[in-house]
Amino acid sequence: MQTLREFTRKTKRGNILKIVREHYLRDDIGCGSELCRECFQNEVYQLTAQHANQSTLFKFPHYLVLDTNVVLDQIDVLEEDVLRNVVVLTTVLNEVKHKSSSIYKRFNEIVHDRTRNFYVFVNEHHKDTYADREPDETANDRNDRAIRLATKWYDDHLQASQSTKEFERSGRAATRVILLTDDAGNRAKAEAEGILVTSAAEYVKSLEDFPLLIDKLSHKTFENEKKGLPQYPPHLSMKELLEGLRQNKLLQGAFQASRENYLEGSVSVEKFEKGILIQGREALNRAVDGDLVAVELLPEAEWSAPSEIVLEEKNVYADEVPSEERAEDEKDMLKQVRAAASSAERTPTGRIVGIVRRKWRQYCGILQPSLIEDTTRHIFVPADRKIPRIRIETRQAAKLQNQRIIVTIDTWPRNSRYPHGHFVRSLGPLGDMATENEVILLEHDVPHCKFSDEVLSFLPQMPWTITEEDYAKRVDLRDLYICSVDPPGCTDIDDALHCRELPNGNLEVGVHIADVSHFIRPGNALDKEAAARGTTVYLVGKRIDMVPELLSSNLCSLVGGVERFAFSCVWEVDNEANVLSKRFHKSVIKSKRAMTYEEAQVIIDDATQQNEIAKSLRNLNRLAKILKKRRMDSGALVLASPEIRFQVDSETHEPLEVEVKQMRETNSMVEEFMLLANITVAEHIATEFSECAVLRRHPRPPPTNFDPLVKAARYQGFQVDIDSGLELSHSLDKCVKADNPYFNTMIRILTTRCMMQAVYFISGSLQKEEFFHYGLAAPIYTHFTSPIRRYSDIMVHRLLAASIGADSTYAQLLERKSNEELCHNLNYRHKMAQYAGRASVALNTHLFFRGKEEDEEGYVLFVRKNALQVLIPKYGLEGTLYLKSDKDGKDGLERTKSEIVFTFNEEDYTQRCGDVVFHSFDPVTVRLSLDSSNVQHEKLIFRLVKPYIKGFSVETATDGSDGQAVAAPPPSKKTKKDKKKK
Amino acid sequence: MAYVALSEAEKTYILHGVEDDFRCDGRSRRDYRPMDLETGLVSNASGSARLRLANTDILVGVKTEIDVPNPLTPDFGKLEFFVDCSANATPEFEGRGGSDLAQELILSLQNAYESPLAFDYRTLCLIPGQQCWKLYIDILILECGGNLHDAVSLAAKAALFNTKLPRVTATLLDAGITDLIISDNPYDCTRIGIETVPLLVTVCKIGDYCLVDPSAEEEVCSTVSVVVSVSMRNGKAFLSGTHLTGGGAMHRDTMRNCLDLGLAIGEHLDRLLTKMLNLEQERVGPKRPQTIGFLK
Repeated sequence: MQTLREFTRKTKRGNILKIVREHYLRDDIGCGSELCRECFQNEVYQLTAQHANQSTLFKFPHYLVLDTNVVLDQIDVLEEDVLRNVVVLTTVLNEVKHKSSSIYKRFNEIVHDRTRNFYVFVNEHHKDTYADREPDETANDRNDRAIRLATKWYDDHLQASQSTKEFERSGRAATRVILLTDDAGNRAKAEAEGILVTSAAEYVKSLEDFPLLIDKLSHKTFENEKKGLPQYPPHLSMKELLEGLRQNKLLQGAFQASRENYLEGSVSVEKFEKGILIQGREALNRAVDGDLVAVELLPEAEWSAPSEIVLEEKNVYADEVPSEERAEDEKDMLKQVRAAASSAERTPTGRIVGIVRRKWRQYCGILQPSLIEDTTRHIFVPADRKIPRIRIETRQAAKLQNQRIIVTIDTWPRNSRYPHGHFVRSLGPLGDMATENEVILLEHDVPHCKFSDEVLSFLPQMPWTITEEDYAKRVDLRDLYICSVDPPGCTDIDDALHCRELPNGNLEVGVHIADVSHFIRPGNALDKEAAARGTTVYLVGKRIDMVPELLSSNLCSLVGGVERFAFSCVWEVDNEANVLSKRFHKSVIKSKRAMTYEEAQVIIDDATQQNEIAKSLRNLNRLAKILKKRRMDSGALVLASPEIRFQVDSETHEPLEVEVKQMRETNSMVEEFMLLANITVAEHIATEFSECAVLRRHPRPPPTNFDPLVKAARYQGFQVDIDSGLELSHSLDKCVKADNPYFNTMIRILTTRCMMQAVYFISGSLQKEEFFHYGLAAPIYTHFTSPIRRYSDIMVHRLLAASIGADSTYAQLLERKSNEELCHNLNYRHKMAQYAGRASVALNTHLFFRGKEEDEEGYVLFVRKNALQVLIPKYGLEGTLYLKSDKDGKDGLERTKSEIVFTFNEEDYTQRCGDVVFHSFDPVTVRLSLDSSNVQHEKLIFRLVKPYIKGFSVETATDGSDGQAVAAPPPSKKTKKDKKKK
Repeated sequence: MAYVALSEAEKTYILHGVEDDFRCDGRSRRDYRPMDLETGLVSNASGSARLRLANTDILVGVKTEIDVPNPLTPDFGKLEFFVDCSANATPEFEGRGGSDLAQELILSLQNAYESPLAFDYRTLCLIPGQQCWKLYIDILILECGGNLHDAVSLAAKAALFNTKLPRVTATLLDAGITDLIISDNPYDCTRIGIETVPLLVTVCKIGDYCLVDPSAEEEVCSTVSVVVSVSMRNGKAFLSGTHLTGGGAMHRDTMRNCLDLGLAIGEHLDRLLTKMLNLEQERVGPKRPQTIGFLK
C-alpha cells in the first residue's frame, strides 16, 4: 500500500518547491511482543515478561510508550537501567532527532542496548498506525495523534492476542500499554480515547523499587513558583532575535562570564576587539557561560568600564528570596563601577536581550548545606566559578552532602534568581583524590575514559619484535652512543640525543624521536582516538595518556638498552654550532642509557668520567650554550612562570612536599636541541608542503596587552621597551633590583601574562610573515619532538615521512580543510590540558595546606581596587588578599572596623592604609591557611602579617587568629591618623 | 493539425448535416460533445486538470516558482504556457511534428490571457517589484479529436482553479529587502481567482453556417474558423481576443455573427465549468483525493 507525503520547501536560491514523496505502508511490521501470536516477527522478542516495570500506579504488567517530550526532558531518567519494555515509535525518534542531536545520540544508545528491552516500532510505515496529516493540524498535533494512534493500536493488538482461551487458562494478568507524556493536552486527548496515560513524573514516582530515580527527573516546571515576581527582563522571542540580528540592531556572540566578578561578563563579538561588556544582574539576564546570546549595545553615554573588584557570591539558601540587603550590595557594586567608569577607559557595554542557543552542559560541583532539615530543595554550587548556582530538588541531600556531584540545568525562568536543574550522578566523596581528579577532567572536557576495545585492537601484537624487513627499511644506528635525558620518573621518553666527532673535525648531532607514526596508522580507531584526545594531560600524580600505555610507556618509549624505532634528525655542525648539513631518516636505535637531568648534570660536571656518553654530553652542552646565546641575541624571550612540583605519597596520592622546579644546564641543553630539531623540521615540511604543513605560531601580542607590565615597571623606575622582541628581552634583562632578588622573575611572570597563546595552524591558511613565533624569535616553528604526548607531532612525523619517502601519504594528510579542523581541536585540547594541569596543582596546594598554617614571604603582584594579588614564590602560589574599603561594612567577618580604611590610588595603583602603602612588587609576609569552615568549598586564605597594620594584620604571636584583632585599636594609631589628616 | 483523410462524399455528407442543423453525431450547431473533467490528479504539480472532450484528451499541470517581476509591471506576477503535443496523440506529432500546432495554441492562449482584465496578474504578486509567483501551465495533448483550442482552455482554467499556492509571509529585512517564509502546513494555501480567466471558443464555418466544437472530421471540411476568447466580468461576457485559423477569409457580417455566437457559447460554457468545478471540490473536500482514477 502506498500513500503520499506532501510538503513545501524553500530552496537556497529562494525558490519554493512543492515536494511529494511516496510513502509505503506495510502490513508485515511486527509488534515485538512475545505475547503476540499474529505478527510476523523478524527478530528476537524485545518486549518480554522477564523484565517488568513495578509500578504502584499500574499494578498489572505493562509496556510503555514514550512521548517525544518525555525523551527530550527525561533522558537522564531513561539512561538509568530501570525502565524496561518500552515501545519506541519512529515518530518519536524522528522528532527527537530533529530537536536535539545530542539527546538523539544518547537515546539511540539506550535503544540499541539489548538488555534494556526497548523496541523500535516503525509506526510511520505500519498500515494501521500511519496518521496522515489533516488540514488545519499542526505538525506537532499530527505527531501527537500518531503516537496516540500507535498506542491505541498496540493496546488493542495485545488484548486481541491475550483473549485466547489458552491465555485465559494460564491465569496471567493481561499486559496493557501505557502512554507516558508530559503534554497535558495530549494526555487529556489520550484519556478521552481510552488510552492508559500518565505523566513521566507520576510514573517515576510510582516505581517502588527505585525511589531515588525521582531526583533525576528534569524539572521544567517546578511546583513552587508562587513568589513569582519576575527578577529578570523577558528574553525576546526567537523571531524577534533573528530579525534584530539581521537588521544589526542586536549582536550575536558567545557569552563569557567573569571568573572574578559574578555580576560581570563579556560577549565576544566580531566587530569589537575586546568584546562587549555586560554588567549587572539584569543586563546579564540569565546568560550562562558559553551561551550564544544576542546583545543590545547601550548608547555610548551609558558605557562603562570593567570593574576591578573581586566579587564572590555569598551563600544563599534555597528558600530565601533575594533580600534587600543583597540588592543593595549589587547596587553598591554598580555605583562603584559607574564611578570608576567615568574616569577609566570605557568600553562598549551592552545588555543581553535573548539567548540564541544555550550551551548548557553538565556541571560538577557540590551541594550547599541547607538550613532547613529534610527539605528537598537545595542549592548546588558549581566548581567552575563562572557558572551560577543551580537550584535542584533532591531527597538524598544528606547522602550527597559530602560528595562531588554532577548537575544539569533544565530551565531558567524569569522569576527565579538561579537556574533550575536536576541531579545527574555522584562522582564520589569530597576531598578524595580520585573524585577531585575526575572533577578536574570533566570540567576541562578532557576525554579520560578507558581506551575502547576497538582502539586497543590496533595495537601491535605482543611480544613485539623487530623483523628483518624493518632493519632493511631503516638506518641502523644501534652502535651510536645515544642517550636520553628526562625528568625523574618519566616513562614516556620520546626523545634521545647523540653527538660524535667526525673525522673532519666537525661534529655530528642527532635528535632521535620515538617513531609513533609507525604504530599509529592513519584513519584507524587508534588514530582517531589519539586525534580526538590531542594531547596527554598531566595532573599531579596522574597522567591521562593520549595513546594506550603499551605504546606510550613501552613500544614507543626510547628506554635505555632496548632497540626502538626512531625518527632521526641528524645535523653536521662545526665547532661554532653552525649547521652545515642536515638529514632526516627513520632509524633503529638502542639508547645506551636513560638519564635524569640530574644524572646527566653529574656526568658532565664530573671530569673523571671520560667515556663516550660523557664526551658526547659535554659536546652537546657546549653546542647548546652557543645555540642559546644565538637565540637570545635574536630576541627570544626568557619568560617565567612559577612552577612547582609536588612530592606525592604513592599510597594515598596526597601531596607530601612542595618544591619549586629546578632548572639545570641539562634542561636547557635538551631544550635547545629540541628547538633546533623543531625549527629544522618546520622549515623542511613548510617547503615540501606549502599548503598543508602543520606548524605552530606565536603571534606578537598587541601593544595594549603590555599596558599592565609597562605601568608596573614604570612605577619601579624601569622602562620596558615593547617595540620588538629583542628590545623587550633586553629591557627585561635590565629590570634588576638589588634589594629585591625576585623582582626580575616577577617582571618576567607579568610579561608571560601579556603574551598571546601559541597556536597550531596550517601553512596554507596564513601568509608567510604570520608564521612567526614571537617567544622563540623563530620565523617558523612546529612540534616534532614529542609524538607520544602530542598529536600535532604525529602529523608532523607523517608529513616529514611522506616528504622523504619513508612512508606513504594518504588523502587526508594533504587535505587542508581536515587539517585545519584538526588544528582547531588540538589548540582547544592543549588549552584545556593546560588549565587542567593548573587546576590540579591548585587542588594539591589546598590538600597540602590542610590543617597547616604557615607564614610565607610573598610579593604583591597586582594592586586591585579592593584586594592585593599576592604571589608566594616558594609554592608558585598566587592568591588574593582582600582589603576592606570603607563601604564594605557588613561582610560578616569580624575584622572590619571603620578605622581601618584602605584608600586606592588609581594614579599609581597603590593601596594606602595609614602610613602603610602597598605598591606592586612590594614584599609582604602573609599567613596561609586553608579555610575549611565551609567544608564543601575549601579555599586558601591569605592574611597579612607584615607590614603590620594594627587591626587588620594577624598577630605575629603564636595564636594569631582573627578573633583578637577586633580589640579596640590603641590610641597610638588614632594619633597617627590624626597627624596624617593635618 | 492532425490530418484526417476524408472523401468528397463524406465531406458533402457533413456539409449537408450542418446545413440541416443535425450533425453526424446528432448534435445541433451550438452543441458541445460530452466532456469528462478531473482535477488535482497530478500530485507533483500545484494544480492539475485532465479534460476529455469526446476523443480529445488534454492533461494540464501547473507548477509554481518564485520570480522577479518585470520592471515595467512591478506588481504583476507571471504566467507561462507550454504545450506538448504528445506523439501518443497521433504519429504525426513525432519529433518536431507537433511544434507548429503547439506554437499556435500557445499564442492563442497568451493572446487571450494577455489583458490584466482577463487574468488578474496582481494576485500572483508577493512583493511589488521584488518577488512574484510565476506559474508554468504545462499542457499535454494526449489525443486529438478536434477542437483543441476549446479543450485546452477549459483544462487550463480548471487546472488554475485547482492550483494551490503555499501561503507565504514576508519579513522585512534591512534596506527594504524582504525574506519569504513559507507556512509549514501543506494545507495552508491560497487559491487563484478564476472568475475572469478566459475560455476559447472555436467557431467554425462550414458552408454558410457557423458551428461550435467541431470534430476532427468537421475541421477538415471547414475553410475558416475564428477562435473567440471569452472572459467573464461581473456576469457579462467580454471578448479578450480573437484569432483566425484555416486558409479562408470571412465576410464582416459572418465575423460578427461568429463573435456573437462565440460570446454566447463562452458565457454558457464558463458558467457550467465553474459550477462543475465547485461541485467537484465540495465532493472531494480539502484533503488530497484518494489515489484512484486516471494516472494511478
